[in-house]
Amino acid sequence: MSEGKKTIKLEITRFDPDVDEVPKTEEYEVPTEPGWKVLDAVNYVKDHLDPSLSHRWSCRMAVCGSCGMMVNGEPKLTCKTSLDEYGDSIKVEPLANFPIVRDLVVEIDGFMDKFKSVKPWIIRAKERAEDMENLNERGTYSQSPDELSAFKQFSMCINCLLCYSACPVVANEPEFIGPAAIALGHRYNTDSRDEGAAERNEVFRGEGTVFSCSFANECSEVCPKNVDPASAVNQAKLGAVVDWAKGLILPRGGA
Amino acid sequence: MAGAAHPEAMAPRKKGPTRTAPPMMPSSWWSAPRIRIYLLFGATGLVYLLAGFLILRLAWALGSNPMAWQSAFDGLSNPLYVIFHLILLVSVLGVGIRAFVRMMPKMQPRGGPLPVLPPAVVRGAICGLWAGITLFMVLVLSGAIF
Amino acid sequence: MVQVSRHDIVIVGGGGAGLRAAIAAAEANPKASIALVSKVYPMRSHTVSAEGGAAAVARDDDNFELHGFDTVKGSDFIGDQNVIEYFVEQAPKELALLENWGCPWSREEDGTVSTRAFGGMTIKRTWFATDKVGFHMLHSLFQQSMRYENIVRYDEFFVTKLLTENGACKGVAALEIRTGDYHAILGRAVILATGGAGKVFPFTTNGAIKTGDGMALAYREGVALKDMEFVQYHPTGLPGTGILITEASRGEGGYLRNKDGDRFLVDYDYGVGKKAELGPRDMISRAIIQEFEAGRGIDDEHGLHASLDLTHLGEAHIMAKLPFVRELARTYVGVDPVHQHIPIRPVVHYMMGGVDTNIRAETDMPGLYAAGEVACGSLNGANRLGSNSLTECLVFGNSAGVHSLEYASGTNEGNEASLRAQAEEEAARVDSLRGSKQGDEKIADLRVEMNRVMEAGCGVYREQETMKIAEKGMHEIRKRASSLHLQDSSKVFNTELVAALELMNMVEVAETLAVSAAHRKESRGAHTCRDFPHRDDQEYLYHTMAYRTEDGPRLDRKDVALGHWEPQERKY
Repeated sequence: MSEGKKTIKLEITRFDPDVDEVPKTEEYEVPTEPGWKVLDAVNYVKDHLDPSLSHRWSCRMAVCGSCGMMVNGEPKLTCKTSLDEYGDSIKVEPLANFPIVRDLVVEIDGFMDKFKSVKPWIIRAKERAEDMENLNERGTYSQSPDELSAFKQFSMCINCLLCYSACPVVANEPEFIGPAAIALGHRYNTDSRDEGAAERNEVFRGEGTVFSCSFANECSEVCPKNVDPASAVNQAKLGAVVDWAKGLILPRGGA
Repeated sequence: MAGAAHPEAMAPRKKGPTRTAPPMMPSSWWSAPRIRIYLLFGATGLVYLLAGFLILRLAWALGSNPMAWQSAFDGLSNPLYVIFHLILLVSVLGVGIRAFVRMMPKMQPRGGPLPVLPPAVVRGAICGLWAGITLFMVLVLSGAIF
Repeated sequence: MVQVSRHDIVIVGGGGAGLRAAIAAAEANPKASIALVSKVYPMRSHTVSAEGGAAAVARDDDNFELHGFDTVKGSDFIGDQNVIEYFVEQAPKELALLENWGCPWSREEDGTVSTRAFGGMTIKRTWFATDKVGFHMLHSLFQQSMRYENIVRYDEFFVTKLLTENGACKGVAALEIRTGDYHAILGRAVILATGGAGKVFPFTTNGAIKTGDGMALAYREGVALKDMEFVQYHPTGLPGTGILITEASRGEGGYLRNKDGDRFLVDYDYGVGKKAELGPRDMISRAIIQEFEAGRGIDDEHGLHASLDLTHLGEAHIMAKLPFVRELARTYVGVDPVHQHIPIRPVVHYMMGGVDTNIRAETDMPGLYAAGEVACGSLNGANRLGSNSLTECLVFGNSAGVHSLEYASGTNEGNEASLRAQAEEEAARVDSLRGSKQGDEKIADLRVEMNRVMEAGCGVYREQETMKIAEKGMHEIRKRASSLHLQDSSKVFNTELVAALELMNMVEVAETLAVSAAHRKESRGAHTCRDFPHRDDQEYLYHTMAYRTEDGPRLDRKDVALGHWEPQERKY
């Protein structure tokens, strides 16, 4: 599984807005251990070579979504990416398509805005207190395994934002809601417990429209969790059109 | 990184409290094989545009007089036209496969009245449909039926 | 210049407990302003890494009495029984509420929620969403929290001090990591929900962010840390990284094997009897260590380890119930559990101890509440049962949210000038630390040193002598941590400064842990002394309380709330 100890050259983007006009690159020699991930090498730099390096990381088991970076030009979850996949020289940069705050840290508040815009929560026609007839004696809604599997895959997103870095539309259209957020909205639209698809479809047809997606499929290529956002986005397109057409033909949108 | 992304890409609605460096596009933009394929698909638009002009020209000739139509039709045997049509065929097949074999199985609506089929079934159905239509066209064009 | 903002409730920590508290308070009073302050974006919180499930009575053959007794017995009878009774009664409501908010719980064919078996539980009562339960719970809570406009998030703000007035907590001083500026975030009540402190140990399932911040915050203000000696070792972590392989893999039928391929929990008497792999974590961790000592461990490129055998479950079952375990094993040890055994060894997982709280999630300081792993409401006693902690986050998160709001409505806002002055003093202290070349201690070195001392002294098996060494060692390391040498003087996203502050928190917590451990001369739950191999209810049936003094923790004792479950020998 590994080739043993070797020393690699790590090229890391550095940017301190207090000092640097534009980002620059610095090189580090890192002695690695067998089995190391890219994140281990970056942490080595932080601990032993240059403590002023800033990057985000936490769980180092590919579930918190903090440590997305560009590795040799590809968006990668660095705690999941083995050094063995690369040669003796690796380039680590902050996630593409995001404003850079410092070093490997990018500004993700733009994503948080898009995330919230798709209303990622269960919307019911009635308040919970009036909805009791739909709950069983344990207080839960009924949902069959098939109904669960209709949306389960799209609920696996860890918000690591690799898809935003890979998407050519995100790079060029700032309003585009983008893969992860659309997938999340679609996840709720396809949840049998949810009754808010009409509201979200309005968002999908709005300013950051899902129809901006040109199906490059890059988001699904780089997704470390096999969420397949491209699939979600294109199902969302269909949903948004059907919903719109219903509104044209049927009184009150068929509701 | 190679080249800048849109300066406002992924910018928050409320401007952040510290100065940021502008977003960059991945340096792999041109070099990653899958991106090249994606761009190639985008480029097939040009082929369709040209094909559109060709059809317009033929229609124009058909509307003018029999002589013009005959000369335009004869002109199609020019090797350049043959090559162009081969490129057109490859483009149509490529885009068709991408759209119907790769995309369609993923785009099945969920949670509606219709069941979600396994991707292999969708692909099989589409390929079967395609083969059927092709067979029908061959039979018609060869004069076997109608 | 310190920026001041005012809220009704200030919650520190955006994981399961913090988000649940925020939602509870936001629902209880839509006009109340709730600040949610977290050093990471909430979806990065470590709740995300929990895998196996959340416990609550859900079947007709189960009841509160059974769940309660399992928990009391798991705690080795040092859990507070009133707290446990409250917990088991609230648990089903909380998990159902989470279902209503969209958590994708795994289902039975009839549309009801599935449950699975778990260690130390006599009945299947662990609700699950495959093996990513913490992830789904956290994201469901976070997404739900976004609907409440009265929850104001402070993402990537690092709280370094509690602001107090006449002994009551009235807010927090926080470093905005992005700018390096200081904020006084004032509230009538403060809830700590910062999680545990697994990072004081070298080999842990815990993420980098779990540095005992909330424990240290309360401890510095004179609140006791309770039962710190009880540290849970999870039996199945991946060697090298310490990545968690969920107990659900045994709940679903996995076996533990030694070098000879024996199911040692069945073949030898480790006190877990018929439960075998479904015994409680403390006992199984000890069994694995004993296997190592008997020379029956496996020693290869992964180091000394035992193995977890899932091969008999079949690919379909593994993919349906344990897909994440498969992903983790493949990615981090290059093993496919469908065909091969997963190498595992015991790994630090959870702190049973924490900030002393009661059934209402209140601490001894008026206006200060705590919930989740940071708190010790004595639900878990000396050993937590797997899948109780996710539910704990919800039950006590809710309790903290509701009770703090009640308290807030009957108390004043606090004097802004004096609270601002405290925050300014704190800002000055941290500013002087930024890029400080005063000392000569390196953060990374000191952290490694602390890790080494803690592992040597406070492992699965402990001895008086090694615990004393750890106590002395931590005392010295705490002193050394006040003379750090820092190199980053930038104000923007200075993670070196944050790491320094985290280290200072960890050394405080680690010292209480070592001192509390050395004090308890018995073996109870996760605290196992070779010199005192038996439980001693005559002498030690009490909670250890650690109060801060400059010279190290001062210990005191607190009675255990007993009830109708009489202490008995703990055998399975």
